[in-house]
Amino acid sequence: MKTCSSMATLWSKISAVLPPGEEQFPLQFSDTVESSLVDVLKRSRRQLYGDAASSSSRAIDAQIILDFSWEKLNTGTWRHVDKEWRRLYAYGCLFKVAALCREGPSADNVPQAVRTCDMGLLMGAAIMDNILQVIVGILQGEVRKSSKEEDDKTEQVEVKRLKIECPRAPVIRGELAVPRVKCPSLESFNTNHLLPLKPVILEGIIDHWPALNGHRWSIEYLRSVAGCRTVPVEVGSRYTDEEWSQTLLTVDEFIDRYILNEDGVTGLGYLAQHQLFDQIPELKEDIRLPDYCCLGEEDEDDITVNAWFGPGGTVSPLHHDPQQNFLAQVVGSKYIRLYSPEDTDKLYPHQSQLLHNTSQVEAENPDTERFPDFAAAPYLECVLRPGDVLFIPVRHWHYVRSLELSFSVSFWWS
Amino acid sequence: MRWFGFGFNAFGQIRVRGRATSAASGDVAAEVKVIGPTEVTGHEGRSGRRLKTCRIKASWSRRASLHLNGDSCVCLAGFGAATSDESCGVSVVVSRGCTDASIGELHLTLVFPDRIESWDLQKKEETPSWSMELEPQSESSGPPLNLPLVTGGYIATKPPFYRSLSPHLKAKSLALGAEHAILLCATGAVYTWGLGSHGQLGHGGLTSEEEPRAVEALWGMTMSSVATGGWHSVCISDGGDLYVWGWNESGQLGLPSRGLRKALQQQSSQQAAGAACQVADSSPGEEVFISIQAFPALLDVAPSCEIRTVSCGSRHTAAVTTTGDLYTWGWGEYGQLGHQKLISSDEPKCVEFFREQQLHVVDVTCGTWNTFAAVIAEEVASS
Repeated sequence: MKTCSSMATLWSKISAVLPPGEEQFPLQFSDTVESSLVDVLKRSRRQLYGDAASSSSRAIDAQIILDFSWEKLNTGTWRHVDKEWRRLYAYGCLFKVAALCREGPSADNVPQAVRTCDMGLLMGAAIMDNILQVIVGILQGEVRKSSKEEDDKTEQVEVKRLKIECPRAPVIRGELAVPRVKCPSLESFNTNHLLPLKPVILEGIIDHWPALNGHRWSIEYLRSVAGCRTVPVEVGSRYTDEEWSQTLLTVDEFIDRYILNEDGVTGLGYLAQHQLFDQIPELKEDIRLPDYCCLGEEDEDDITVNAWFGPGGTVSPLHHDPQQNFLAQVVGSKYIRLYSPEDTDKLYPHQSQLLHNTSQVEAENPDTERFPDFAAAPYLECVLRPGDVLFIPVRHWHYVRSLELSFSVSFWWS
Repeated sequence: MRWFGFGFNAFGQIRVRGRATSAASGDVAAEVKVIGPTEVTGHEGRSGRRLKTCRIKASWSRRASLHLNGDSCVCLAGFGAATSDESCGVSVVVSRGCTDASIGELHLTLVFPDRIESWDLQKKEETPSWSMELEPQSESSGPPLNLPLVTGGYIATKPPFYRSLSPHLKAKSLALGAEHAILLCATGAVYTWGLGSHGQLGHGGLTSEEEPRAVEALWGMTMSSVATGGWHSVCISDGGDLYVWGWNESGQLGLPSRGLRKALQQQSSQQAAGAACQVADSSPGEEVFISIQAFPALLDVAPSCEIRTVSCGSRHTAAVTTTGDLYTWGWGEYGQLGHQKLISSDEPKCVEFFREQQLHVVDVTCGTWNTFAAVIAEEVASS
C-alpha cells in the first residue's frame, strides 16, 4: 500500500528530472497552436511550480490540453498531422502525470501515471529530451517495488497453463523448404542472397542475444520488465477481417487475456508491428542489430525494429513490404510461406489503395473457385524456431502463422 | 428570448469565472465544466438597457452574442474578453450596423449591408485582416445572406477566406466542419466535400472529395437544414426527420458506440473496485455497435417528434423539437449535454431542466465543447 511518504519520495524523484523553475521550462510552439491553448499551457506550467493550485485544477487543465490535442491528432491523416499537435499531446501527458504523482496516497495513481506516459510515448512526439521516457522509468521502479511479493506465486501457475497448446507443426517438404545456412560471411550473404533477393534462414547469428541467454525471454520476464506498460494490440483473426480492430492494453492485461486466456475470451489478440524496443529500453538491450544490415544503404537509426508477440494461431495474411526484412524468432515457432514477386499475378492482390500490398487469398485455405491461379503459384515454406533468422527480401510475399506462444523481432532495412 | 449555456467554460465564455486564486477543488471543476443550463447574462447597451441577444455563435474558447436590434453590435465573451470595464466579462467589437457574424477560434467574421470583414482574434488590430465588398442586397437579388454563404460562394474558416461555389448548386445554406463541408441546395438536395476519413461525407466510403458531391442516399428527399460537427454531419428533412452520419466514437450519432460503453464500464468498475482493471466485454448479445456510419441513417430522437433545428459541437449533437424540447447526445465530459452530469451518451436524452423550468426551447447553437439554447416562456409559446 502506498503511504504518504513514499508518494512524497516519488514526487521528489520526478521533480528532480523536471526543469528547476518556470523560467527554465520551455513552451515554444509555432503559430499553428492557438493562443487560447497556449494560455492553458502557461497556466499548467505556473501550477506545476506554484503551491497555490489544487490537484483538481492541475488535472483539469492537463485534461483540456489532452482533449484539444487529441482532436487535432484525429483530424486528417496521421501522416499529415502537424508535429506540433503531437508535442502538445506529450505536454498534456506530462502535466497530467505531474498532477497524479504530486499528491494523494492513492495506489492507483502510479499505474495511471505509467499509462499516461505510454500514451504520450505512443501518440505524442518527444519533448524536453524525451522526458516522458525518463519519468516512466522512475515510475516503473515504484511499480516493481510494490509488486515484488506477488511475482513468485504466479510463475508456477502460468507455466502449467501454457503446456496445453502444442499443435503439431506442419511437415516441411524438402523441395519446398527455405534453404538454411549457418553464420555466413557478409560477402557470401550479399552474393548468394541479398543481391539475387533470395530468401534464406540464417542460423546461429542471434545465439549471443541476451534474449536467448542471460535475460531469456519468457512470460515472467516480460511481466517483470514491462507488465504495467500500455501497448497497442490487434484484436481479431487477421487485419483483413471486418471485425479486426486495435486496442490499448497493459502487457499484463494482454498476457492474461490473450495468452493465458484468463477470462475465456475466444478471439485472438496480437501485439504486432509495434516498436516496443523504443518504448521499453530494457528490452532493447536484450537484442542486437544483425550485422548484415550494414550491407544496406541506410543509417542504423533508420532501421525499424518491431516486436511480434502473441499466442498460437495469430495470422499475418499474405502480403509484402517495401523494405528488406530480417525476422528473428526468439520464443516459440511460426509457420511461414514465401512467394516471389514474379508470381504476383497469381496472388490476387486487393485493388484498394489501403490493401494493395495484401493478397485476397487465405494462403492455407484458398478459395479455389475465386482464385484458381493460386494453386499454381510456386512457394517456399519453413517452420521458424528460436534462434532462426529468416531473410525476407524486399517485396517478397510472406504469410505467417504462429504455432504456439511466439515472440519474434523484425528488422526492416534498405 | 433568453439564452442558456452549458459545457466548457474554462475561459468564462458561458459565465464569468470567479477571481479567487485559491479556489477550492470543487469550485474549479464547477467553473470549467458548467453541467447544468445557466442563463447567459445580456449586455448593457449605451442607454443602460440590457440588449436582447438575438443570436449566439461559439468557438472553442469564445462566445459571440449578436445584438441586432437598434444598436446592432457583437459582444465577445471568453478568451481575451475585457474583464476590467465590462461587468459581464464581454468586450464589444467594432460592429455597429452588422447584420450577422460567425466565429472561429482564430477569426471573427462580421457581415454588414455593404461588406464582410474578418478580424484576427489573436492580434489587437485596428482594421480587419480581410474584407470584401458586397453588392447591396435588394428584394430581387435572391435569398438573403446566410453565413457562411455569400453571393457566389462562402467564407471559409481559414485563408483563403472567400471560396466560390458553382451557381448550378443553388446554395441555400452551408455548414463547415473542421475538415469537411455540407451544403443544402434550394432543391432540397445535400452535397458534401472535404475529408472523408471518418465517413462524414456520407457517400458510403472513407475517401475524401475535393469538389461538392451529392449525397445520393438522400436523393428524392427534401432536406431543410444541415449542420456539421468535428467528424459528423446531420441534416433535417422537411418532415422533421433527422439524418446522421460520420464518426460515432463518443455516441455523437446517437447510435450504439462500443468505445463509449467500454469507457463507461471502465469508469464504473474503477469507482467500484478502486483500481483500474480491464472488464471483460459484457456486451449484450445482439447489439450492433457502430463506430463509423458512412451512409446517412435516420435517427429516432424521440417518439413522434419533429426536429426543428440542430447544431453540433466537435463530438456532440443538440436538437430542438417543434414542441420545444432540447435533446442532446454524444461527448459529455465537459457538461455539454446539459444533464447535470459529466458523462457522454450514445442515446438522445431530453434536457429536463427546460421542462422543469417551463421553458420552451426555440433554437440551439453549439460551440466546440458547449451548447447554447434559446428559450421563451411556455405561456408565450402556446399563445
